[in-house]
Amino acid sequence: MPDTNTLELIIFGILALFMLGGSLTMISAKQTYISAFGFLIAMLSLAGVFALLDSRFLAIAQIMVSVGAIVILSILTILTINAKEDNLPSEPYKFLWIIGAALLVSPFSLLLYRALKTLPSYFSTLQSINSKVTGELLFSQWVLPFEIVSILLLTAMLGAIIIAKQKIKGENS
Amino acid sequence: MNTDPFFLLVTLLFSIGLVGIISRRNLFVVYMSIELMLSSINLLLATLSKVLGDASGSVMALLLIAVIAAEAALFLAIIIHLYKTKNSLDSDSFTDLSEVK
Repeated sequence: MPDTNTLELIIFGILALFMLGGSLTMISAKQTYISAFGFLIAMLSLAGVFALLDSRFLAIAQIMVSVGAIVILSILTILTINAKEDNLPSEPYKFLWIIGAALLVSPFSLLLYRALKTLPSYFSTLQSINSKVTGELLFSQWVLPFEIVSILLLTAMLGAIIIAKQKIKGENS
Repeated sequence: MNTDPFFLLVTLLFSIGLVGIISRRNLFVVYMSIELMLSSINLLLATLSKVLGDASGSVMALLLIAVIAAEAALFLAIIIHLYKTKNSLDSDSFTDLSEVK
């Protein structure tokens, strides 16, 4: 029977593999819906990592909002648009571009990782961050950002309706 | 379990998102790469909230999820509108506002 630490590491490894595989599929697939499914897998694994971090409410919110709303909305839009092969961009040197961009980005990633490693490397032992703790903080210390986010969501909804309803010139004349 | 694997995962996800934005021309892939970068920041916030023993990081991550949702709604509406005008998902074909045609 492995101890808790090893078990956590194994679970983390599986989730990280799913996450990296999903995101690599996302940026390399030609068909758009395959990219969307890779994105779905990455978001589900991210919810798993949140649960591993014992942020229970965040894991549930991630599943409900990111997976249930955003990814499903994206897949719905992709299937509604139903772009054929001609309408997709032709990218003959796609993998060359991806490798080049990866080489370009890698020094930055190394710098980012070195910067993050200066942070403390152990978890403080406290009670799990459940919905009670989060809710108390959200409605006492963070109530102004909460209200601003609600206004932002309202504005985004109005903007989305207006953009999507615009008539294309010459379409119905 | 220490925090280094989490930081490595955050770095890799952010970099993969950046690579997707730079190298691909499909509008949907660019949009999903932006979402991936935002989600990696979310993971960093959750990790730091656990490291520092302060639940404020989780609250920030929660608010960021709402911002991601707002961004998704706007971005998908814009993609539908662009697709209606040009009948293409190629980001290079939308040069109406550009000086260089």
